[in-house]
Amino acid sequence: MKEKIIGIDLGTTNSCVATLEGGAPEVIPNAEGERTTPSVVAFTDSGERLVGRLAKRQAITNPNHTIASIKREMGTDHHVKITIDGKETNYSPEQISAMILQKLKKDAEDYLGTKVNKAVITVPAYFNDMQRQATKDAGAIAGLEVMRIINEPTAASLAYGLNKSKEQTILVYDLGGGTFDVSILEIGDGVFEVVATDGDTKLGGDDFDHLIMDWLANEFRKDTGVDLSKDPSAMQRLKDAAEAAKMELSSRKETTINLPYITADASGPKHLEQKLTRAKFEQMIDALLQRTVKIVDNTLREGKKTKDDIDQVVLVGGSTRIPRVQELISERIPGKINREINPDEVVAAGAAIQGGVLAGEVDDIVLLDVTPLTLSIETLGGIATPLIERNTTIPTEKTKTFTTADNNQQSVEIHVVQGERKMASDNKSLGKFQLAGLPPAPRGVPQIDVTFSIDANGILNVTAKDKATEKTASIMITESSRLDDAEIEKMRREAEEHAEEDKKRAEEVEVRNQADQLAYAVEKSLSDLGEKVPQEKRGEIEDQVRRLREKLSQNASTAEIKSAMDKLSKSSHELAEQAYKQASTSGDATPGADRASSSEEPGPDGSDKDDDSGYIDAEYEDK
Amino acid sequence: MSKKDRDKEIDKQDLEREEKQQQPSEQDEPSAALSERLAAKDEEIRSYVDRLQHLQAEFENYKKRMLREMSQFEERIADREIIDFIPLYDNLQRAFTNYSNETDAASFVGGLEKIFAQFDRLLKAKGVTPIRAQGELFDPNKHEALLSVESSEERNTILEEFERGYKRNGRVLRPSKVKVSKGQLDTEEEKS
Repeated sequence: MKEKIIGIDLGTTNSCVATLEGGAPEVIPNAEGERTTPSVVAFTDSGERLVGRLAKRQAITNPNHTIASIKREMGTDHHVKITIDGKETNYSPEQISAMILQKLKKDAEDYLGTKVNKAVITVPAYFNDMQRQATKDAGAIAGLEVMRIINEPTAASLAYGLNKSKEQTILVYDLGGGTFDVSILEIGDGVFEVVATDGDTKLGGDDFDHLIMDWLANEFRKDTGVDLSKDPSAMQRLKDAAEAAKMELSSRKETTINLPYITADASGPKHLEQKLTRAKFEQMIDALLQRTVKIVDNTLREGKKTKDDIDQVVLVGGSTRIPRVQELISERIPGKINREINPDEVVAAGAAIQGGVLAGEVDDIVLLDVTPLTLSIETLGGIATPLIERNTTIPTEKTKTFTTADNNQQSVEIHVVQGERKMASDNKSLGKFQLAGLPPAPRGVPQIDVTFSIDANGILNVTAKDKATEKTASIMITESSRLDDAEIEKMRREAEEHAEEDKKRAEEVEVRNQADQLAYAVEKSLSDLGEKVPQEKRGEIEDQVRRLREKLSQNASTAEIKSAMDKLSKSSHELAEQAYKQASTSGDATPGADRASSSEEPGPDGSDKDDDSGYIDAEYEDK
Repeated sequence: MSKKDRDKEIDKQDLEREEKQQQPSEQDEPSAALSERLAAKDEEIRSYVDRLQHLQAEFENYKKRMLREMSQFEERIADREIIDFIPLYDNLQRAFTNYSNETDAASFVGGLEKIFAQFDRLLKAKGVTPIRAQGELFDPNKHEALLSVESSEERNTILEEFERGYKRNGRVLRPSKVKVSKGQLDTEEEKS
């Protein structure tokens, strides 16, 4: 095993560490179980050193010996003076940063179960040589050999694999807890160059929390006349609630902040309850967001770029989860927005990838592709039954067993489609072929293995094999991976847009298939039972079967089909019960009587129009 | 990229080998044996690369499946936990449904007390215990300081608990939010 090189995002407010696992970046949780660690260091009265969450918790009791945001001092001759028991010690910013790095290193070692000696550390694009050297020194003090210092926006771009494309211009928008950075990068031959960078070191998500807090306190004063700002306990509850509300508004249009017993006055306890809509929140933070947009414009101007030059936009920092932020950017810059990777972790992930490259861990064998869209075959009723789900890493192979939909069906057609829609016809057809020469058999009996196999180059081979005769047929599809990004994106979007109706349609087909299967099974058991079924009962059941078939051929509504099915399956249950009773008294067991009740078996569509189309039935359980 | 190059390289070697094989009589024995061995090695390498790629992809897919299963697992755990809390919710609802102006306030409060006791038992059964705070020495492992004030109490003593903290099986679920004593500034030269 090669020696690991970890990737560290040494942030102003929070830090994050990641490593490559099996070629993919993985964030390492700290000893407290969190995926990011506050960049805070403290020295207690007893001389104990605290780093991270614990240091943050005690900051108020120990303000003079608690150091936050040391990153702002890197590369300066600023010193932190710590006096414990009358003994004064001076710490350089490098030394304080080293304490954070040491904790990250130790947590990584505990997680990986091995020593960690090497790291890639990220710095803001605007860091000068002195600041970079200081960061490197901090690593050395922490016992880490810093294999490379890379820019945060570069790391984020690496995490999205943007180094693999040809010449591109990338804009990285990084809105963190307390700082905002914009960088424009140019990439050519895998090398990133920072064209321009700008930012605001005092702007971030914490400001949004404060705006919500202030608003809550204001509203409360208007309602009750009580000023919460003098009550630290109430303010803390407001702060927690404000942050929670902000996060919730990223996925919801409205949230309710409910803080019972927030305070009390002479008239008794007071409760806070406020509704906050996303629109109202967006209005609150608008001025701050406009400031970031202005900085983006400045950066573009400084880099002598127009918005049309930007090919890719990368979002970094937790605050970019806010929908309004994403809207503003896409309104501004038409480039493709990358935001799939957790924005709190994307920089560390990129650093880990750089570490993997330097360790020789990432090469062409490890960098495997994924299937961008689901690969399916068309089954009864036009449903797309997936064999290989999207995002499956290739090379890979999957086999499922299918059967026939009609009695004495002689051939089956394998129609291979690609896409996320539930109905095959809504997806992209990749090809079809026949497997012919099936021996005559009742429907549902033949077993046909369909195997999808994709090699490392994305070439898809589909083989169908009849288990009984060992007959096979196959097709090779080379274009499955050749969709361009825009096409993939379009197909995914369409699938999302149509998700509801597609689901309904697929369910309708499912019910029809089940209904047909039930009718077929009941008929079969009627004929199996023969004389044992009383004439009167037989007539009733046959009538119900006929009515169900009518509903199917008349394209009746799902509800109508369901109710006809319910009636039929009820009588067939009675039938089975009776048959069993007879069997147990006469000792003459009747196999097949239970078939009538197995309505769960996915069944074929019995409508005659499909008679010779040779659709394959839905899958068999092949465990 | 380089993999394709390598494949091309191998193809080239294959071609060369074939060419060589087409003129066998000219070649001496050892060289023919060598190229045969080389071909065997090429084949071996190819099969290793293929196996490595498959294993690597399988590992990736395994990781994806584990992640999926883990989130399903978390969902089911959450379901199970929520079930235990629903009776409390039911009882609170009963309390409010039965409440009216004519209801004796004392019996309403008495009901609430019973629900509270039920809640208390449930948390205890789940191993949740409150973190001691007031009067204790501040410990950032389990307390979070919101305020620090001068007082006659010893420095770092917790003067007031704003919000109770809880732990479970030794792990802190939520730290207590507290007010901590700074001690008395005239005795300790704090501001230097």
